[in-house]
Amino acid sequence: MKLFDTPLTRDKADTLLLLASAVLVLAPHTAHLPLWVSLLCGATLAWRAVITLRGRRMPKAWVLLPVAVAAMAGVQFNYETLLGKDAGVAMLVLLVAFKMLEMHARRDLFVVVFLCFFLALTNFFYAQGIGTALLTLASVFMLLATQLSFQFTGVVPSLRTRLAMAGRTLAFALPLAVVMFVVFPRIHGPLWSMPGGPGGASSGLSDQMSPGQMSNLALSEETAFRARFFGRPPDRQQLYWRGPVLDFFDGLTWTRGASQASGRDLHLAVGGNATDYEVTLEPSQSRWVFALEMPGELPKVPGHALRISPQFELTSDTPVGQRVRYRATSYTGYALQGGAVLDDAGRWLLLPYGFNPRALAAGRALRRLSEPDARVQAVLAQFRAQRFEYTLAPPLLGRHTVDEFLYATRSGFCEHYAGAFVFLMRAAGVPARVVTGYQGGEINPLDGYMTVRQSDAHAWAEVWLAGRGWIRVDPTAAVAPERVRRGLDASVPRPAPFGIEALRGMNPFQREGNPWLLQLRNTASALNNGWNQWVLNYTPERQSDVLRGLRDKLFGWPFIGLLTGICLLVLLARFFRRRKEIHPIDALYSTLCKRLGQAGLARAHDEGPSAYAARVAGAAALAPQSRDAAMEFLRRYSAWRYAPPAADPRLKSTLKSLLSQVR
Amino acid sequence: MARGVRGWLRRATGHWLPRAGTLDDGEVVISQRRVFIVPTRAGLGFALLLAVLLVGSINYMLGLGFGLTFLALSCAMVDMVHTYRNLAQLRLRQGRVAPVFAGEEVQFELQVANRTRLARYAVRADFADMREPRHVADIAPGVHATLTLAVPTATRGWLEPGRVKLSTRFPLGLFVAWSYWRPAARALVYPRPEDGAPALPLAGGSGSSLRAAGSDDFAGVRNYQAGDSPRQMAWRQIARLDPDIGGALVSKHFEGGGGEELVLDFDALPTSLDVEVRLSRMTRWVLEAESRALPYAFRLGAMQLAPASGAAHQAACLRALALHGLKDAP
Repeated sequence: MKLFDTPLTRDKADTLLLLASAVLVLAPHTAHLPLWVSLLCGATLAWRAVITLRGRRMPKAWVLLPVAVAAMAGVQFNYETLLGKDAGVAMLVLLVAFKMLEMHARRDLFVVVFLCFFLALTNFFYAQGIGTALLTLASVFMLLATQLSFQFTGVVPSLRTRLAMAGRTLAFALPLAVVMFVVFPRIHGPLWSMPGGPGGASSGLSDQMSPGQMSNLALSEETAFRARFFGRPPDRQQLYWRGPVLDFFDGLTWTRGASQASGRDLHLAVGGNATDYEVTLEPSQSRWVFALEMPGELPKVPGHALRISPQFELTSDTPVGQRVRYRATSYTGYALQGGAVLDDAGRWLLLPYGFNPRALAAGRALRRLSEPDARVQAVLAQFRAQRFEYTLAPPLLGRHTVDEFLYATRSGFCEHYAGAFVFLMRAAGVPARVVTGYQGGEINPLDGYMTVRQSDAHAWAEVWLAGRGWIRVDPTAAVAPERVRRGLDASVPRPAPFGIEALRGMNPFQREGNPWLLQLRNTASALNNGWNQWVLNYTPERQSDVLRGLRDKLFGWPFIGLLTGICLLVLLARFFRRRKEIHPIDALYSTLCKRLGQAGLARAHDEGPSAYAARVAGAAALAPQSRDAAMEFLRRYSAWRYAPPAADPRLKSTLKSLLSQVR
Repeated sequence: MARGVRGWLRRATGHWLPRAGTLDDGEVVISQRRVFIVPTRAGLGFALLLAVLLVGSINYMLGLGFGLTFLALSCAMVDMVHTYRNLAQLRLRQGRVAPVFAGEEVQFELQVANRTRLARYAVRADFADMREPRHVADIAPGVHATLTLAVPTATRGWLEPGRVKLSTRFPLGLFVAWSYWRPAARALVYPRPEDGAPALPLAGGSGSSLRAAGSDDFAGVRNYQAGDSPRQMAWRQIARLDPDIGGALVSKHFEGGGGEELVLDFDALPTSLDVEVRLSRMTRWVLEAESRALPYAFRLGAMQLAPASGAAHQAACLRALALHGLKDAP
């Protein structure tokens, strides 16, 4: 390579630095940009690098203009708009890349650097993890170094020195930024709705259930929400996080019935042990809000208005697009609609016509038992007695899903059991419905937060018994008690990666097994949760909590004392530093002058050491020995003061000994 | 508008700053109270950027966006302190100022010393009334930079330079810090030596022939003195001298006119001439007499100098000429 044989001129080095920081800012955007935009930007930046290194001329405007217009047209074609969030980011990225080819004045540098700052912000639309934060920090560092490099006028220190300067600026700025982050008053956004606001597909529980099909939720390790318990967390068997209630069955799919809005009174009586907890819900773009069965009152979710349906489902008025935090109190003992009659009992007994004849007959047969509770227990006993298998990969079912499941395949997961159970109950004349949600959760020993993952999604059943209300029945627990007691992993072997059996041991998400991996996983999870709690979801509510805590801590004597001590130390340090500014030899000289002044030979203000020495020589007031020492002192001092600096390491001690002879 | 505001600011500070009107004698340390700082145009752009970042973060509820916004703001604040520190604690001392003849440029020497441990970069300096500073200095710790600020002159007399302004935008260019310094130095501007002046007024008619013989009597070279005419310079010798070994300008030196009585009397000049022209002519004569090493008597108004020659005599004469008739002549 001949390219780097000669040292780069300053302009070239600065431009390359700017290119490097632009690359750092643009790189994370490639994850979401269309491929052609990334390639075009890469080509543009490479072109700029070649121009710089080879010393070519910048392209003329008539070359750039058609390319820029074509790129704009491409964005329009790609996103079908130029204004949305994603299209806007793409335009900005292209703008930065093209601006590189059109930089002439120093002002243009500032334009590029400022645009890069803005682009770094837009990257947070797509990712806000710890890695993104570190990458952004590196980008800011490079941008600072670039901006700094352009400010030199004469001497330009080495790149390392300049990077150190940028690093120092950043090191001073970071604590300040942290303080501002904590105390700057936060408000709930958005100020106005932006075009192309929160979008994207919703994740998490769906509000329908087709036991014939495989749900991919069961394998997703994504976090649904995290919970922190104030006090002892309840037993795992009690951890039912209530979600959508499904009541309408068309033979294949369970859905939420049409008459959901029918305003019926909701009667809930709670008792038993109270559990206080705080939930941090991950953004799901859906309206569901989860709480343990059963919350005593409606939790307050900042930024959202909660509603409760007659089936006791919690929903928000707007989709959850951001992480939200809310506190709730739930009770293990409760009676929902615990009256003697159920107004809309007919709704919970509906069955589709012409499906599952065997199950229908079996359910009708149960009506011989007079007590509805006995019918429930009979079905559960049947589940336990027969050899049902719990598996996440059941065979596909045909038209009569319940029949085939109950009498032929006998293998399935929670949805199959809950669906079949509710079907049997309705056939037996007991009002019943399917409840979906999450069951369980994993406590992270490092930070005490319980993580509930999408793989913890569960479906269970509720039956209504006169006088007792809606009772939770989990048929899955009857078949695979492990699923409820210890979680999914305990009840089914996880599929091997890529279906290759030999790789099974390598599955990094295996919850059991390698304790080191478990530890790593817990650490990562705690780190991530801390990040979410303190950085990404630092809401006005959390801020007021933190500030209140700070106020209580800081406005006390210990803190004020510490502050005073630090101020005193700083003042002392400044005082001593100022004293040090006087050269030690000058200090000796002034001591001599003071001493001679006491003998009546004060030095005049405009008198140099030589003139002073001449006057001292003629003075009779001094003892001869003292006078000689003073004159020798002055001679040496004068030589030191006015001669070119010659290092005499003993000068100080010589002068000191001479000074001691002057009385 | 920015220019209007800046102009207003400049006028306003020029008025109410107590330091702006007083002269700074001796060494001056740029203390905290002497440093002014405002955002540059780029700084205002940065403020706009910060506002956009903040609104974006609030609107899209970007936790990290707040982090980036505050980090950028903090960097700007740190930059403000660094810009201030790039100027603060510098020590200013005026250097020598040599007298010049009207029409030449006065060279004000300005020493900027850095006795701190902090290297200073891109410190601009010039007179405050210049729009763009012409001098830039980088001052490493423990050294001093010497800047020479040139001021053109037109008339004789004392020339007081205006305020000197030191400014810097280092390190990030978002803020500009500046400090004024009004050096106590003033430069003496001699009258412009008249071009094509008549010959020296040597006493007696025979003087002219004598002078003609003597003035061409080349007697060697001597060091250049301010005011020597280019025709008198020993160009051959100058060209031969190597500037690396301290080569200096030299002038030809002529012997002659020994024993002549030369009297330069202002009142003897025809009063039909303008005062300034007469002063110019006297200046030329002084220089010429000096270049020939002719002792000359000097009379200007009440000032009577006995015949003499040499640098001190010449300086006294030129000074008298420069300050003739001026009110504040000391």
